[in-house]
Amino acid sequence: MIEVIKPGLETAVQDWPGRIGFWNQGFPPSGPMDSWSFRLGNVLVGNAPGAAGLECQYLGPTLRFVDAAVIALTGADMGAKLDGVAVPLWESVAVAAGQVLALGPAKSGTRGYIAIAGGIATEPWLGSRSTFHQAGVGGIGGSALKVGHEIPIGPGNGTAGRRVKPEARPVFSTDKRWSVEVCAGPNDDWIDAAGQQRFLSADWKLSSKSNRTGFRLEGPDWTFAEKAYDKPPEHGSLPSNIIDHGYPLGAINLAGQTPIILVNDGPSMGGFINPYTVPQAAFWKLGQSRPGDIYNFRQVSVERAQAMAREMKALCTQASIL
Amino acid sequence: MATEVRTQTAGNMWKVLVKPGDTVAEGQVLFIMEVMKMEVAHEAPVAGVVSAVHVAEGAEGLDAEDLVVEIG
Repeated sequence: MIEVIKPGLETAVQDWPGRIGFWNQGFPPSGPMDSWSFRLGNVLVGNAPGAAGLECQYLGPTLRFVDAAVIALTGADMGAKLDGVAVPLWESVAVAAGQVLALGPAKSGTRGYIAIAGGIATEPWLGSRSTFHQAGVGGIGGSALKVGHEIPIGPGNGTAGRRVKPEARPVFSTDKRWSVEVCAGPNDDWIDAAGQQRFLSADWKLSSKSNRTGFRLEGPDWTFAEKAYDKPPEHGSLPSNIIDHGYPLGAINLAGQTPIILVNDGPSMGGFINPYTVPQAAFWKLGQSRPGDIYNFRQVSVERAQAMAREMKALCTQASIL
Repeated sequence: MATEVRTQTAGNMWKVLVKPGDTVAEGQVLFIMEVMKMEVAHEAPVAGVVSAVHVAEGAEGLDAEDLVVEIG
C-alpha cells in the first residue's frame, strides 16, 4: 500500500490501453498520454505493459510506501528523491517499507510515470482502472490523487537494477518544437488546398487551455472548400459545423477557427469537422509537450500510423531491458 | 537576502497580482499560472516588500523553477 502525502498537480491512476470498447457510449479510453514511457516502466518492474500505474502531470506527488516495493520512474524528469536521495529514471529501484518518494516539477517533458511491481490494484470500472475524473470513474474514487488516499498494490515480482536501453526510450524535444504525425481526414475535404497546405506548414502553438480532454492550438486561420459552405442548414452556420457525428480519438477538431486535438479523455461525438487525426503512436509527443511549445504536423498514411503503433509495442517489451 | 518565489510548474502566466514596492503578507497570492485549464496560485512564503517582478502577465512557455517575484 502507498499513502498519498502530497498529490501533485493532477496525479491519477491509469492503465493501458485504458477503457476500451465504450466509445460508442461516450466513454473515452483515458489511460496514460505517453503510453510509451508508461509501458516501459511496467516492463522494468516485471508487470504486463498495461498494468495500472500513476501518471504525474507537471508537478509530481509525494508518496509514502507502507510496504516494500520495486518501482520504476519513466517519462518526464521530476527530480524524484527517495528519502532525499535522487532516484534514476528508466531503471527499476527497490523501495523499503516506510520510505518516502518525493517528485517535484517536470524539468524535461511534462508527464512522469510511476510503475510499481504488482501494479495498482484498485477496483476496475468497465474493465479498466484508468481514472476518468470528469465522469468520476476509475482510479481511486473517480478522481485524481488526494491527500490521504491509500493506493493498493497487487502482489509483484520485481527486480531492482534493470534499465531501459537508451535507444528504446522516447527522446523529448529540447527546443520546444515537436514534429507530430497526422493522418488526413476524416474531413480533410472540407478544407481547401491552400488551407491543407497551411495546416501542414504552419507553426501551431500549444495553449495553456489544454488538458487530457483537448489540446488547444493557436495558429493561422483556416480556409474552407466549397462543401463547407454549400450544405443543408441542419449542418449549422459556420463552415466548420457539420451534422453531429462520431469523432476519432486524436481528431484535430475544428471549432470555428480553433483546432483542438481530442486526446485520452476527449469527447466521442459532436458537430464540428475533424480535418486531420493524430495517430495514437504520436500521442506521447503531445503528453510530453507543454504550453508555448510549437507543433509542426507531418502527414503520414494510415498504414504508416499503424506500423508506428506496432513498432512502439515491440519496443515496450523485455527486449528493450538491460 | 531576498526571498525568491519561483514557478512550481511549466505553463503560462495568467495573472501577476503584485508590483515592486507592494507590501505583501505571508500566504498572499503573488501570481497565478495556468496549466491544464487549472489555476495554480503561488503564495508569498514570507511577509515583506516586493523588490522585483521578473515575469509579465500573459507570458507564455515558462519552465518550472523560473524566478518570478523577489521579496526583499
